Amino acid sequence: MFIAIVPAYNEEKHIGFVVRNLFCHVDNVVVVDDSSTDNTSKIAKEAGAVVIRHEINRGQGASLETGHQYARSVGATHVIHFDGDGQFDVMDIKPALEKMKNENIDVILGSRFLGKESNIPFFKKKILFPIGRIINKIFAKIKITDVHNGFRIINQNALNKIIITHDGMAHATEILAQIKHHNLKYIEYPVQVEYRKYGQGLGGGVKIVKDLFFSKFI
Amino acid sequence: MLLVFQIIFVLFTFFAISSVIKKKKQGLLGPKGTIFWIIFWIAVAIAVAWPESTAKIAKIFEIGRGVDFVFYIAIATLFYLIFKLHIKVETIARDVTKVVRDKAIKETLNNK
Repeated sequence: MFIAIVPAYNEEKHIGFVVRNLFCHVDNVVVVDDSSTDNTSKIAKEAGAVVIRHEINRGQGASLETGHQYARSVGATHVIHFDGDGQFDVMDIKPALEKMKNENIDVILGSRFLGKESNIPFFKKKILFPIGRIINKIFAKIKITDVHNGFRIINQNALNKIIITHDGMAHATEILAQIKHHNLKYIEYPVQVEYRKYGQGLGGGVKIVKDLFFSKFI
Repeated sequence: MLLVFQIIFVLFTFFAISSVIKKKKQGLLGPKGTIFWIIFWIAVAIAVAWPESTAKIAKIFEIGRGVDFVFYIAIATLFYLIFKLHIKVETIARDVTKVVRDKAIKETLNNK
């Protein structure tokens, strides 16, 4: 069973469209509503998704692990992480999954820097991402082109090994660190990203570094 | 002879130590925490009652003045406590997430 995990917080404008599009490419869609104050849950349910709602806002990392836990409990063979704001293109799913199966890969990591055109804001592209790559090299010890891309496909083997403990955005680096730790086979795959929101800024980046640092002592 | 402020400070440290013992009896402080805070407040009482004692310790560490020694120790202690507090908060946050997650999944599976 191929399950899409969609972490969502106040995404009522996009979630219905995202869920309906995903159903053409996956067997089931799980929307983890991170305590939205709008109609995200209702719209996702109407679109046919399984909705898991956090009573308190816990962050994107926490939402993804909630989706993972659910996927493990229903015996999913593959899961895909897919943003709820509709910035990813569902047409990237099928070829990525095929490549994964053909080459016996455990994790596919989406990348905005491998050929497909994405409208990445200048500051992010030239300042934040290069810094992110250095931070990632320090904490995850993996060198990849797109450190914080939310598009990932994970097979059952990796799903059982990758346990996300970071509630916030540091989960992206944590996932890479766990890929390295468990010696999982991974590749980056070109995906298209249509920016609808700016997303992580400089403050968010500082918080990620702080979270990664303190997690070493927990 | 002790100055008025020294008397007040020393009395305050006695109050603080009694408060630490009270918290230990209530089970709010562990043995390590109790020992740390009692030693801390005794050290404060000694430093206030005999200010020259800090100068003697400062000399051992080759720090110029006693007040500088107290200042360095205070800064280091505060940073350490903030660090410990931060770790504690993070740990509690993870526990909260676990409770929220388990409840959310259980509700979803029950409503299926």
